[in-house]
Amino acid sequence: MPLLDVRNLTKDFGGLRANDAISFALDKDELLGVIGPNGAGKTTLFNCIAGLHPVTAGQIIFDDEDITRLPAYEVARRGLARTFQVYVASGDLCVLENVMVGAFMRTRERAQARRRAEDILERLNLRELAGAMLSELPVAAQKRVTMATALGTSPKMLLLDEVAAGLNPGEIEEVLAIIRSVHRDMGITVMLIEHVMELVMNISDRVIVLDYGRKIADGHPRQIADDPKVIKAYLGERYVREHSGEVT
Amino acid sequence: MDILFSSLAAGILFGMALSLVALGLTIIFGVMDIINFAHGEFLMIGMYTGLLTAQAAGIDPLLTLPVAAAVGFLLGIVCYLGFIKFLLRGPMIAQLLGTFGLMLFLRNLALLIFGPNDRAVHQGLLVGKSFDIGLGIIIPATKLAAAGLALAAFAAVWLLMNRTRTGKALTATALNPQGARYMGIPTERMNALAWGIGCASVTVAGALIVNFWSVNPYIGLLFTMLAFAIVALGGFGSVPGAFFAGIVVGLITELPGFWDFMTYTFEFDWMLDVPMISFKYMWVYVAYFVIMVVRPRGLFGWKH
Amino acid sequence: MEALKNAFDFSDFPRSDLIIAILVGAAFLIFPLFPHSAFAIATMIQFFIFSLYGMGWNTIGGYGGQVDLGKAQYVGIGAYTTAVMLIRWDIPFWFSMPIGVLFSVSWSFIIGYPLFRLKGHYFAIATIATSLVLKDLFEVWDFVGAARGLEISPIKYAPPDFLRLIFREDVYYYYVIFAFFLLGILYMNWFRKSRLGFQLRAIKDNESVAQSLGINVHWAKIKTYAIATAFVSVVGSFHACYIKNIEPEDTMSLNLSILIALMAMLGGAGSLWGPIIGAGVLIPLKSYLKEWLGASAGLVGIDLIIYAAIIMVISAAEPRGIWGLVEKIRRRRSR
Repeated sequence: MPLLDVRNLTKDFGGLRANDAISFALDKDELLGVIGPNGAGKTTLFNCIAGLHPVTAGQIIFDDEDITRLPAYEVARRGLARTFQVYVASGDLCVLENVMVGAFMRTRERAQARRRAEDILERLNLRELAGAMLSELPVAAQKRVTMATALGTSPKMLLLDEVAAGLNPGEIEEVLAIIRSVHRDMGITVMLIEHVMELVMNISDRVIVLDYGRKIADGHPRQIADDPKVIKAYLGERYVREHSGEVT
Repeated sequence: MDILFSSLAAGILFGMALSLVALGLTIIFGVMDIINFAHGEFLMIGMYTGLLTAQAAGIDPLLTLPVAAAVGFLLGIVCYLGFIKFLLRGPMIAQLLGTFGLMLFLRNLALLIFGPNDRAVHQGLLVGKSFDIGLGIIIPATKLAAAGLALAAFAAVWLLMNRTRTGKALTATALNPQGARYMGIPTERMNALAWGIGCASVTVAGALIVNFWSVNPYIGLLFTMLAFAIVALGGFGSVPGAFFAGIVVGLITELPGFWDFMTYTFEFDWMLDVPMISFKYMWVYVAYFVIMVVRPRGLFGWKH
Repeated sequence: MEALKNAFDFSDFPRSDLIIAILVGAAFLIFPLFPHSAFAIATMIQFFIFSLYGMGWNTIGGYGGQVDLGKAQYVGIGAYTTAVMLIRWDIPFWFSMPIGVLFSVSWSFIIGYPLFRLKGHYFAIATIATSLVLKDLFEVWDFVGAARGLEISPIKYAPPDFLRLIFREDVYYYYVIFAFFLLGILYMNWFRKSRLGFQLRAIKDNESVAQSLGINVHWAKIKTYAIATAFVSVVGSFHACYIKNIEPEDTMSLNLSILIALMAMLGGAGSLWGPIIGAGVLIPLKSYLKEWLGASAGLVGIDLIIYAAIIMVISAAEPRGIWGLVEKIRRRRSR
């Protein structure tokens, strides 16, 4: 029984079809990467699964329950947490308090929420930043805080939206280590979006590729990397033609 | 029947003047997303300008429109450069707070200078004259002239916004300030211009309305609320929307007339007991609330 | 128990702040024992009243970031419930006040449900509209005295009447509202650290993110709106007994609504001390400017001109209010 089962998910914005009959399933212990060029519909897919956009057609099953029509907060309460790509925080919550908001989903007790938040900050090496404001932090730390906040809700599954975008190679290594630890040590199923292909290939058990709102490939990272359809989507028609000529 | 047609006519005419009041608000809102609580105070300034210029120069109040427009234009630009510019850097609540301060400031300045009493236009070409156009409709000449000139002012602003380079630059600033700045449009100057045009149109409306409505320092708030309602109904930032919504709101303020018509025509006695005249403006607020909730884009939702 | 502990726990403030707060609190406590003018004590009572209004507004407006400009309608509901019940059926304050809260909160749910589908400016103006509609209705409703309003005549009772809250000397009112003021601070201190308080601050930050953290944004706002309403309604009931003469124009006007929001914004929206500082600056300023410049010098309006100019300068220069300024200075110093 897969933990997440997406069936024929379709999403239209006005006349534009952002997701076209996407289907895939995800097992409990998997780490799935979603890649695709800009505008391929990755973030839309995430928003649909997380309940932020109403879907046009299709079905989303999470943990044996149909969550297709549930609002975002109900999806979150069922154990499906997510991060956001651009996080505009104008407010006055410090890092610890941000993570506590997540932790408050499972408890009413302030002390308990605080303990949970501190525990997560410890795991993500954010302890010394607990009192800082989000807007004062460098991008890499901000990304880690958004992950910590999502983890505060004690999810079964985590959706990560471009947590490595804008980071330097050293920082990317750090994020990778954190994602691995979340996946292995905390036992949380992870699905991540990224358009930096190398990163996804490096960490994922399985990769699906989106292009123009459709799923064009699904499989092991190594298989995906050799798939001509994927190369075409990323590098364009001409590149494929020229290089395939070289091989033959 | 007479009362029905009279109410219709009065509502439409008053509505046309009201849409000119709301025009300034919608231009300012369209260009820079700020809510101006002092809008009605600019109208009050226009009313005093019209009245006092007419008295001082001994001319008909309707001839004071250019003066009112000039005063409004300058006032708008001064307000923008001296105050609003700084508010725009802050959060929304600072804008509400700041323009509320401006409203209080202008209102009490007027109180200090002009005193609390009502003042009205007593002489003029059209004051006291009216036309009987049949069907029992009697139209006060001042209202007709106000509506006609409001229409003309509206058309002028519409032409300015749609047919000139400056207007296009304004529209560009409204749609995408950052993009406009990259295209070399001086957005700061455009904002100031929007305030100038916005305030000029409302002071002109004031100089028109003063012909049939007496002025005192507290008059502003009512018109601010009416203008908010019109702008919301017409769609925030929409110029044609403001025109039609103005007429709708004008008609809503004439609801007591329609109520009387129903009462007498169908002889519903219970209707006599409802003091409809006291609810004159309440229906505007009710309409605003309902339309905002049901159709947040406004009644004519054709913005962009 | 946990909640009570949190309400009394101010340990996240610097010690210097707490010392100042305790000294000011002690000064409030003993103030009436020293010789004072009737005007001074009346101003103090107004200060407490507006601090409490501001605290109520601060829940939804400050922590939640929803600029509510219709709080006066709940002042009105509270005040009218208490006044009508006292005049018509001789029901004392301590019974009519909770009933007033019940009415206010019910009304807040009815209009809150559609109201919170709106955001930003649209929300702010819609709150004004609802308040004005209610005021217009009260102005023609004969049962509550229409536009003339209601008058509680103290002669019928034997002051000091603690049950009905009818007193001849202001000092009684002073201590009653001071007690409410202290309770208000304790409640707010609990609220800001509660789950709902955290949820609201997250909503103010970013509604989509808040949703993804399991927060039912719409419902959280409605709940908080009801809390703000209850605060305002209690003080409205007190206002009726204290002023004894209530009209729609005083209790439900837009000016009052905006003044309530102003207290919190000026002092610093979204902070515990903000509304109190705001009221502490604005109320004496307003009363004394009026006393010195308006009434005695005969310059009508000049007090409000100065008052307006101060509001304008603060909103343009330091939109986070006085408390925001204090925090900015502190942060600069700690660097």
